[in-house]
Amino acid sequence: MSVTERLAPRPAAHAPAAPRRALRRQGEASPVAKATVVFVCTLWIIPTLGLLITSFRTKDDANTLGWWTVFTDPASLARFTTSAYGEVTAQANLDQAFVNSFAIALPATFIPLLIAAFAAYAFAFMRFPGRNVLFIVIVSLLVVPNYVALVPILQLYGDFGINGTFPAAWLAHIGFGMSLAIYILRNYMATLPKAVLESARIDGATHFTMFWRLIMPMSVPALASFAIFQFLWVWNDLLVALVFIGPGENQPITVAVQGLMGQQGQGWQLVTAGGFISMVVPILFFLSLQRFFVRGLTAGSVKG
Amino acid sequence: MLIKSINAVLAVVAGVGGALVLFWVLNRLVGLLPGKWEDRLKPYVYIGPAFLAISLYLIYPAIQTIHFSFANADSTAYVGLDNYTSLLGSAGFRSTLVNTLLWIVIVPAVTILLGLGIAVLADRLRPRAEKLAKTAVFMPMAISAVGAGTIWRFVYAANPPGEPQIGVQNAIVTALGFDPVNWLQITDFKFNSFELMVMLLWAQVGFSMVLLSAAIKGVPADTLEAARIDGANERQIFLKVIVPQIRGTIITVFVTVTIGVMKLFDIVYVMTNGDFDTNVIGVQFFNELFTNFDNGKAAAIVVMLMIAIIPIMIYQVRHFRTEEAGR
Amino acid sequence: MRRTKFFTTLMPITAVALLATGCLNDAGSTQSGGAGNGNTGNTVEIMTGMGGDLFNAVKASLDPYAKEQGITIKWSPSDNFNQLIVTRVQGNNLPDIALFPQPGIMKDLAAKGKLAPLDDVLDMNALKSSMTPGTLEAGTQDGKLYGLMMSMNVKSLVFYPKQAFESAGYQAPKSIPELLSLTDKIRSEGKTPWCLGIESGPATGWPATDWMEELVLKYGGPAKYDDWVAHKINFDSPLVRQAAGTFEKIAFTEGNVLGGRKSISSNNFGTAGNPMFRNPPGCFMFKQGNFVAAKGIFPDDVVADIDNRVGVFGFPPATAGGENPVEGGGDLAGLFSKDNAAAKKLLQYMSTKDFGAAGAKTGAWMSPHKDFDLANYPTNTIRDIAKIAYGSTSLAFDGSDAMPGAVGSGSFWKGMTGWISGQQSLDQALKTIDDSWPAS
Repeated sequence: MSVTERLAPRPAAHAPAAPRRALRRQGEASPVAKATVVFVCTLWIIPTLGLLITSFRTKDDANTLGWWTVFTDPASLARFTTSAYGEVTAQANLDQAFVNSFAIALPATFIPLLIAAFAAYAFAFMRFPGRNVLFIVIVSLLVVPNYVALVPILQLYGDFGINGTFPAAWLAHIGFGMSLAIYILRNYMATLPKAVLESARIDGATHFTMFWRLIMPMSVPALASFAIFQFLWVWNDLLVALVFIGPGENQPITVAVQGLMGQQGQGWQLVTAGGFISMVVPILFFLSLQRFFVRGLTAGSVKG
Repeated sequence: MLIKSINAVLAVVAGVGGALVLFWVLNRLVGLLPGKWEDRLKPYVYIGPAFLAISLYLIYPAIQTIHFSFANADSTAYVGLDNYTSLLGSAGFRSTLVNTLLWIVIVPAVTILLGLGIAVLADRLRPRAEKLAKTAVFMPMAISAVGAGTIWRFVYAANPPGEPQIGVQNAIVTALGFDPVNWLQITDFKFNSFELMVMLLWAQVGFSMVLLSAAIKGVPADTLEAARIDGANERQIFLKVIVPQIRGTIITVFVTVTIGVMKLFDIVYVMTNGDFDTNVIGVQFFNELFTNFDNGKAAAIVVMLMIAIIPIMIYQVRHFRTEEAGR
Repeated sequence: MRRTKFFTTLMPITAVALLATGCLNDAGSTQSGGAGNGNTGNTVEIMTGMGGDLFNAVKASLDPYAKEQGITIKWSPSDNFNQLIVTRVQGNNLPDIALFPQPGIMKDLAAKGKLAPLDDVLDMNALKSSMTPGTLEAGTQDGKLYGLMMSMNVKSLVFYPKQAFESAGYQAPKSIPELLSLTDKIRSEGKTPWCLGIESGPATGWPATDWMEELVLKYGGPAKYDDWVAHKINFDSPLVRQAAGTFEKIAFTEGNVLGGRKSISSNNFGTAGNPMFRNPPGCFMFKQGNFVAAKGIFPDDVVADIDNRVGVFGFPPATAGGENPVEGGGDLAGLFSKDNAAAKKLLQYMSTKDFGAAGAKTGAWMSPHKDFDLANYPTNTIRDIAKIAYGSTSLAFDGSDAMPGAVGSGSFWKGMTGWISGQQSLDQALKTIDDSWPAS
């Protein structure tokens, strides 16, 4: 790649715990830049804000007056109600569904991450016959919609009798998420300086050690970003949950909320509230993993 | 419920731990072999478990799909290339292709530009402000599809003239004294397709921002310092130092988004189901499979997608080679 | 599961689409006479697609009786009933009773011998005299009853704002020509006769197919309606064109519909009728199924005071006093094993004319029995709706539900939407729908 990168291997391996200097003069953005960020963020938040306000309104208000009228007509604030939230928690058995969602999403996030990391390591740092072909195959399969796999898998699961159980969903998410995980992790690992590996190799480190001690810590930003997305997709997944788990005592939150919709969609008001409750977790997950995106941390966490 | 919570934790520990132990054991086993064989086999041991999962969940269905694409609607007899010729021969499918192409040309590029822009700008804010800005852009990703559909209903909804409007756009239009507009039915210049694209951008710029931001954070600080000492301005630093170093990530995001757009389904399905000339390939596939129960045509659509993706992948592999050569 | 075909039949799974009947073809079972689990215990599993208030109403009617009989009911409600029942039958994991929301899958299962005939389980003579005409036929396959209707809904309804409608001196029309002249009259008085909206997200267009079904049923009668649903009569036919012509007169005439023709396809089917309840009303008539009169669709204050604010008349027959079939639907109870005594007992109870008093009081459930005590219904509006059904010459199920998915939830919806929004001519729309009918 670029000359600069080759000459300047990341401080990662060589200088653990590099002090965080003021590298980019953070907080000194120009007013124009600040205004742009504020503008974009506002645009991005408006629809969500609308949903949030709607979830506190009565159905009739929501159907007859735009949500923004709460700002021009403060009287309608008096009609705000948490009844949608109350009904959702009462009807959908939400606490149970919450636990189920965690029970599905956590394993379905971390297991594929680890498996994909090993494969990505092999694709990035090992040479073997068929490497490019296998890689092309794996990534090309990203265009295959999941729907085509549902039926064969369902029949297979039926033979093993695991339909409706958590492992049915874990395995499906491991399979469906694998291509993208390998793709993203391999592409990230390919940008890591090879010089580090060479020197470790000379010191007699095995692939296993290098993977675990060098590559994994250096890949933390990519691992964290993929973990966020995989968690998010599994958490918000309706299709796999509906087909392989279905409604019942193991149903995750998406299935529970969908069930509130009703045949003629009369429950959409409840869905706004349900949607917000279910949104809290991915946001928290995102925030908690954000610390892995701070500059310099990749370097400091080598001994993890 | 307590049991379930404990189970979940155990599953994470056992799953991740089990996978680790598996790799460790396999690694040791291969290590017992003579050196030459060890080197030959080890890569396959590393990709083995991943490949197993992919074989079952993607390759096997993909092969079945290719098979079905040469058969009739309920897969009981071969029909040769009929599915392909009748699809390509229908005006409806060709206009679906044109729409999809439009999405592919516009959405990935704009996603990258917006994501990069936000990542770069946010990077210069104070950490707390940065976190806030990124959360705002990320937020749409955390909303379930049902919730997102409701949100956008409040943007594009059109009530009859004279009635109060609950859609933001029509509220503005009627406040200016015009009649409400059926936004999603404006087919001139594919205007309605562009409106649907806005929805997708809103939903997934967060994806590109997170990955690009991670890459930007990974750009070695010394290269930036060096450029600064050499007197480069911020724009030069961005174009000459940052962009070349995160080029790999840009390509990754670009390819991922392109693939996502190729099989795009939910947004178009929820908003118009392909009516009003907004149909795209993913929706057509879905309707062939689940509305028309035509396995053959649905499979043929997927096969065409798989063929279409190959040039992109070849470019990608070439890029690896040059990248590797440069490392 | 044994497979005899060269290809496995791809069983379509989806959260939104109904299952094709064709997907059952590879079940390959030769069992007959009810292939149930041979459950002889006192626990009965009942699968249903009902949800919300309707489900609670049925529970309220059935649970006390079961308890009295020492039977435990295990309810398995699901929004995706059609998908789930097929999956479970394929996996031979059968419930004891299923409440089918449409006859299609029920009849397929009956034809495959998965269901037990009810003729010797229930008192057929009593049923014949008590059930709404057409409802037993809906559950009959090869001359035997397999599905007992135990909950009913009605689609052929026109709602109106009661006080404004009556004080303007309007009368419920007795025939379609009278309906048209009432429409003209309201319009000539400078008011808007109709509210009409067919937007329903991915299912946009279905309310328009209901309109067409209604008119085809009224003009053609039940026999021709069935022929049309089975595509023995084309869409491009005089009957369908007659129906389309009447729809065109009502919906496309300038001033007939609130917002005009162009707003129909973007107006949501659920909220479209709400302007009716303003003062003065935004429109005077709104055709929709009885579900809109329950909590959740009409505004809450209207539903709370429904008898004073909402009036309803049955969509009129083609000629006054002539044959008057009604479009509607209901849930059909099917039995999976003829040896299941507890399940049989529950079915027998469900078939009595007095079943459902508790459920009816909730206002969410209607009995298919003509001689059901109307006093059990909580409001006059529901009583009026029930009377419209009980007084019909035949109850016909939703036709688009019974057509192949490619038409019934595909080209029919899209064709109507294209025609109404002006993107297609009627000729194009009818031809496209006919062409989309699957071969075989």
